[in-house]
Amino acid sequence: MRSVRGMVSWWLAALVVTLGAAPIAAQTVDGLAVDADAELVVAVPDDTTNMDPRIGMGSTRSAYIRQVFESLVDVDAQGKPVPGLALSWKPVGDLTWEFTLRRGVTFHNGEAFNADTLLFNLDRMFRRNLDRWGVKDVTAATSFEKVYPTVSRWEKTGDYTVRIHTSEPLPNLWDAIGREPLVPREYTVKNGVDALNERPVGTGPWKMTEWKRNDSMRFERNESYWGSPPLFKRLRFQVIPEAGGRLAALRAGQVGLVDSVPPLDAGVLGRESGIKVVSSPQKLYCRIYLNARPKDKFDSGGKDGLFGDQRVRLALNLAVNKEAIVQKIFHGYAQANASPVASVAYGYAAQEPYAFDVKRARALLAEAGWKEAGSDGVLKKDGETLTLQLLFPAKHYGQGFDETTPAVAEMLKAVGVQVVIKTIDYGTLLQTVTKGTLPYNGGFAACRTSNNLDADDYLRDWTAITLINWAPYPPELAELYRATRREVDPQKRLKLLADLQRRVRDWSPVVSLYQEVKIYAVSARVLRFVPLTDLHMDFRGVALRK
Amino acid sequence: MLRFLLRRLFHGVFVVWGVVTAVFFLVRLTGDPAVFLVDQSATRAEIEHARHLLGLDRSLPEQYGAFLLAAPRGDFGESIRSKQPAMRLVLQHLWPATVELAVVAALLSTVLAVPLGVLSATHKDGMADHVSRLGSLLLQSMPGFWLGLLLILLFAVELRGLLPAYGSGTWRHLILPAVALAAAPLAQNARLVRAGMLDVLQQDFVRTARAKGVPERTVLYRHAFKNAAIPFITVTGLSLGFMLSGAIIIETVFAWPGLGRLIVQAVPGRDFPVIQAGVFVFALIFVALNLLVDLLYAVVDPRVRLS
Repeated sequence: MRSVRGMVSWWLAALVVTLGAAPIAAQTVDGLAVDADAELVVAVPDDTTNMDPRIGMGSTRSAYIRQVFESLVDVDAQGKPVPGLALSWKPVGDLTWEFTLRRGVTFHNGEAFNADTLLFNLDRMFRRNLDRWGVKDVTAATSFEKVYPTVSRWEKTGDYTVRIHTSEPLPNLWDAIGREPLVPREYTVKNGVDALNERPVGTGPWKMTEWKRNDSMRFERNESYWGSPPLFKRLRFQVIPEAGGRLAALRAGQVGLVDSVPPLDAGVLGRESGIKVVSSPQKLYCRIYLNARPKDKFDSGGKDGLFGDQRVRLALNLAVNKEAIVQKIFHGYAQANASPVASVAYGYAAQEPYAFDVKRARALLAEAGWKEAGSDGVLKKDGETLTLQLLFPAKHYGQGFDETTPAVAEMLKAVGVQVVIKTIDYGTLLQTVTKGTLPYNGGFAACRTSNNLDADDYLRDWTAITLINWAPYPPELAELYRATRREVDPQKRLKLLADLQRRVRDWSPVVSLYQEVKIYAVSARVLRFVPLTDLHMDFRGVALRK
Repeated sequence: MLRFLLRRLFHGVFVVWGVVTAVFFLVRLTGDPAVFLVDQSATRAEIEHARHLLGLDRSLPEQYGAFLLAAPRGDFGESIRSKQPAMRLVLQHLWPATVELAVVAALLSTVLAVPLGVLSATHKDGMADHVSRLGSLLLQSMPGFWLGLLLILLFAVELRGLLPAYGSGTWRHLILPAVALAAAPLAQNARLVRAGMLDVLQQDFVRTARAKGVPERTVLYRHAFKNAAIPFITVTGLSLGFMLSGAIIIETVFAWPGLGRLIVQAVPGRDFPVIQAGVFVFALIFVALNLLVDLLYAVVDPRVRLS
C-alpha cells in the first residue's frame, strides 16, 4: 500500500514537473524570459494597397502579404530557396517540373492545402478556366501567360504532387511559379477574389484580424502553423510615413521595430542603448537607363538612341564614382554592383567592378568619336553635342536616390557629357517610357526590384521591349540568354548565367549606380530578428523579452 | 430665407457638378493609371490588358456618361490602387479621423484666438500685446512638420510616452496633431481679431456704450467683437474647409489616417475614382461651409439680408 502511494506521489510529482517545464522551456529564448502573449508593433512607412497576391507584390505589399500567404518555395536569411509549401521540386525531363507538396497544411479557415489548391492557383496565374471557377480576372502586375508563354499545362499526379509541362525547357520555373503566394481554392470560389483583399486567408504564420486602411494592420499568430511559429502572439504593422516619426516612436518605446531607417540615422541609432541596428542587402537595384533603342523601337523622330554605342555606355559607367556614392550618400548602407543581377539573387556571379577612371572614360568616348570641340569641355561628334536628357523621378525612391542622381549628373559632366536633369513625378516617367517618347538622347534614373529569387528575372530585362528595356540585347547576347533558358542542368546553367552576366557587364546596357541595403532599428526587447534579403520581414522564431 | 437657401443649394449643385466634371477630364490628361499596376518589365500588350480591365480603353464620352449616371448615387467606381469602392474609402478616411482632427483644431484655433486677439487689442503696445504678437509670429513662422516633430520629441520621447507619438483612436492621440494643426490658424485668427478689434474700438458706438456705463466685458464681446467678427468668420470657415480636406503634413508626421494622405497618394498614382470621390466630397464641404458662413453673417450683422 505504502509503495503504491509512493508511486502515485512520484508520478504526480513527475506530471507537475513535466507540465510546468514545457511552458518554461517555451518562454525562454537565449536564456531570457520571453512574453508569449505580447504584441510586436512594427513601424512601416506605407500601407499595402492589396492583400490578394495576384494583384501585385511590390516591396511594401510583399511585407504584408507574405505574413499571411505562403508560396511553394520559401527563402532563408541568405536569400537561398528552401522548401515552403512544396517539400521538393525537380525537373522530370526537359519539359516537365514536378512539385511535391507539404502534407498536413491547412489555411486559416481550415481548408486543406493540396494539389487541387495549386491547380486552382495556376489557373488564376495563367488566366485559364476563370469562367469555370466563377472568379473574376484582376489587374495583375505579372501576366504569367505573357511572361512564361511556354508553360502549356499542369496536372496533378497525386493528392500532393503536381506536374507542370512546358513547350520549351524552362529552368527557372521553380522560381517563377514557386515564389507566387498561394490562395485557398474553396474560399476564393465561394467568396470571390475581393474577399482575398478584405479578409485574406492563407497558410502563413499570421492571421490578419483587422485592417485599418492607411493606418494599421493587425495579425494574430496562426496556432495551427505547420512550421516554426513566431514566439509572440500578436503583430501589428503601424503605418508611420515619416522616418523621424518612426524613430521617435521607437525611442518612446511605442513600437518595437522600425522598417526603412534612413542611412544617416543608422549610425546615431547604433550608439543608443536599448536599440539595435540590423541591415541586409536587398534586391532594389538603381540605375540610369540610357536610350540605345534603334529608331523603329520608340517614338524617335527618325533618330536612333544616342547611346547605342557600347563604348559610350561603358565610359559613362567608368565616369561614375560608385564607391563615393555608397560611402558619402548611403554611409556604407548600399553596394556597388557591376553585375546586372542583384547580389542576393540565385545565380548571381560577381563581376569586375567598373573602376572609377575618368581618363579611360574619356579615351573610350574619344574612341567612339566624341571629342572636345570647344573650351567648354563638352564633347561633340559630327556637330552633335553629347547630351543626356536625364529624367529624374524625385521623391519616389527615397532620399538617397534623390541625392545620388544630381551627384551622378555632375560626375558625367566631368567627362564631357552635357547632362540636363528633368525632375518629374514617377507617374510621368512611367507614361514616357510606356509611350516610348523618351528623347533619342534621353535616359532616366530608376530602380527595379524582384519578387523572384532567380537571376533570370534581372537578365530578362533586355529581351522584349518593355518599360525599362531601352538597350535591347544584340543577337549574340539574346542567343546566350536563350541558352540560359534552355539549359535545365543546374550547374551548366549557373555557368551560362555567369557568362551572360560578364558579357552584359561589358556591354553595359545601363549605368549601374547602387544596390540598396535595407536598415532596421530594433528594440533590445526583440530577440532573434534577422533581416532577409527578400522584400519582406520574417517573424518566425522571433520572440519578445518580458 | 427659404428662397435664399433654395437658390444657394441650386448654385451648390452646379458648383459640385462643375468641379467634378473638370476633375474628371483633368485627371485623364495626366496619364494612364494602368502603368502603375504592372511590373516595370511589362510589355505594351500587358498594359493594354490592364487598361481593358479598368475600362480605360472605352472612349472618353462613354466613360464620362457612365460616370454621370453613377456619381449621383455615390458610386465613383473602385479604387484602382486598393480595389475598394472609392467613396467608401473617402468616407472611411473622412470620418472619424479627419473630422475629429479638423473640428478639434478649428475649435482650438478659434476659441483661443478670440480672447488672445481681444487682449492684444485692448492692451495695444502693452506687454500682453507684444507677447501675443510675438507668439503669433512664432506660430505662423514654424513649419507644421517641424512643430509636430518637436511636440513628439517632447511629449512622447523626453516625457517617456506621456502622449502617443503616432496613431489615432483615443483623445490622447488627438492632442498633439490637433495642437500642431491649430498653431498657424490660431496665430492668424488672433491677429485678425486684433486688427478688427482695433478698428472697431475706435468707433463712436463703442465710445457711446462705454459712456453709458455698459460693462467693459459686454462692450468688448457683445458690441465690438460682433462687429469685428465678419472677416474672422470668413477665414474660420475657409480654414475649417481646408482642415476637413485633409492636413497632409500633420497627417504624415503623426501617422494620422486622414483624407489628406489618401488623396495625396491617389494623385501621383492616378487613382481616378478616389480623386473624383475626394474632390466631390471637398466640393460639398466647401459649398456647405460657405452657406453656413453666409448664414452666420446675418446672425452677427442684422444689416446683412438673406434675400
